[in-house]
Amino acid sequence: MTDPRFVGRRYESAPFEVTEASIREFMQAIGDLAQDGELVAPPTYAMVYGSGPIWQLWSDQEVALDVAHLVHAEQSFRFHRPVQPGDRITAEGRITAINERAGMEFVTFELAASDPAGRPVSGATALFIIRKP
Amino acid sequence: MSRDPSVVPTFERIQVGQSLPELRKTVTVEQIRAYAEASGDRNPIHLDDVFARSVGLPGVIAHGMLTMAFAAQLVTDWLGDRRRMAEFHGRFSGMVLPGDELRCTGTVVAKVADARRLTVELRVENQKGEKVFNKGVAEVDFATEKEN
Repeated sequence: MTDPRFVGRRYESAPFEVTEASIREFMQAIGDLAQDGELVAPPTYAMVYGSGPIWQLWSDQEVALDVAHLVHAEQSFRFHRPVQPGDRITAEGRITAINERAGMEFVTFELAASDPAGRPVSGATALFIIRKP
Repeated sequence: MSRDPSVVPTFERIQVGQSLPELRKTVTVEQIRAYAEASGDRNPIHLDDVFARSVGLPGVIAHGMLTMAFAAQLVTDWLGDRRRMAEFHGRFSGMVLPGDELRCTGTVVAKVADARRLTVELRVENQKGEKVFNKGVAEVDFATEKEN
């Protein structure tokens, strides 16, 4: 069981530089090649510029999440504006809950992404379940 | 790839109860690898069959976020615009394995004329009819002319 005292722990990534190449690589990977006019990132590209804090959490030796048994159970996003090449995005992650129910462990992680002026770009909430080995 | 403007829905013509044109995707090992590279999520349960089996999985599984990306594409393809999705939520209710044939479907369940907002329910099923993405909800905003 992950120690509930880690609720509130924060992680912040270095600013993520959104490039045309990065958006196009993501579009290729998911098979969504549509484009009208200017290039806009697909909505779930939010997990690309948000990946820094998620990996910091997964590799945090103190929290020691059992990543091999981790399942992504639920996901929410709030999008404040479109993301395009040239954007510079900082993502902050925070553990907001660690619970055990019915013999399973639930970890909630919230991400807040903002631009260099501090204006919000998107918010995300992920619920992870740690399966019992 | 550009879209035929005549098939892009206008807010006024969208009706509650209407279905979105369905989207089908067949997941491959190559696509899961490409998603791991593009997203930075290189958890070995998505990349290494031996490792995946060692932790009780049937083999490598697709990222839940890949399935959610398909559900988002269902909406953005229909709208012809990636700027209008304001909120997006869903549950990963089943594993997606290489070779799975996914069917993404959606229905407009609410329309608020004053706020120019829509609520769309979404789900993704595999070839056996099992839901792999469930309770999907997209809130669509036609009010703001989003900055370009």
